Amino acid sequence: MSDSAPTPRDAQAALAEANSQAVRVRREDHQLAWMLLGIAAIYLAVAAVMSTLPDPRRAGPVAGPAILAILISGLVACVVIGLRIRAYSRTGILLYFGGIAAFNLWNGIVVATSLITRWWAPAQPSYHFGLSVALGSIPLLVVAWLIWRR
Amino acid sequence: MSHPRHALDDLLGHPVRFSITALLAAASKVEFSFVRDHVEVTDSMLSKQVSTLEQAGYVKVDKGFVGKRGRTWLSLTKEGRRTFERHLAALREIAQNENGHFPAGGEGGAQRRMGTSKQAQTREHKW
Repeated sequence: MSDSAPTPRDAQAALAEANSQAVRVRREDHQLAWMLLGIAAIYLAVAAVMSTLPDPRRAGPVAGPAILAILISGLVACVVIGLRIRAYSRTGILLYFGGIAAFNLWNGIVVATSLITRWWAPAQPSYHFGLSVALGSIPLLVVAWLIWRR
Repeated sequence: MSHPRHALDDLLGHPVRFSITALLAAASKVEFSFVRDHVEVTDSMLSKQVSTLEQAGYVKVDKGFVGKRGRTWLSLTKEGRRTFERHLAALREIAQNENGHFPAGGEGGAQRRMGTSKQAQTREHKW
């Protein structure tokens, strides 16, 4: 309990300060969006390489190491971003893990549908794989955008 | 007692402690250096103010390691969050009454009247 009261102007300045501190935390949540974009980038880059192959079941001497390099560099980038996070909000974390969960669910649906409808089959062209993967990564991109616009 | 100043918390009347609490209120956890950089205080000043807030039961301090580097994480306790919200509601009420007239409502009127300034609350304190 306080005996001396701040003036309305002081109170407004304190409220503005509280708001500016909250904005700083929300801005730091952007790192979580970068991590989601990193995962989406790994996924899409692998899909792009696979789409160029005449037969996706045979990666070949270049595509195999290229995919491995994409996976390793992408994972390292995500870990580095993760270690750089110095503040996170509850909403940011909920959106991040919600995005990962939504991606797993949606991606499972896309893969299952691709297999059931024979969109993915030995006789089909490789770009079918790339298109399905692009569709599967939508939740990651949407949630990254949601975190970004907060 | 109808003046919203009665709902203000003395500890949060200090500008540095208010800024620290405002930053922590918007977050789940914040690293020590992040608070230091954004509140613009020295390590020792921040340590001192955090200790005061910790002793009051408003702030929780967690120490951990990332590789060999030590990291200190700060977060608001439930009590700290509640107190900050109450303090903020009182500030909103004071800010809204530029002419200095406060409607009667007894102690805690600031909290009860929070609902009337829902829009302002969303605008000023979005988390």
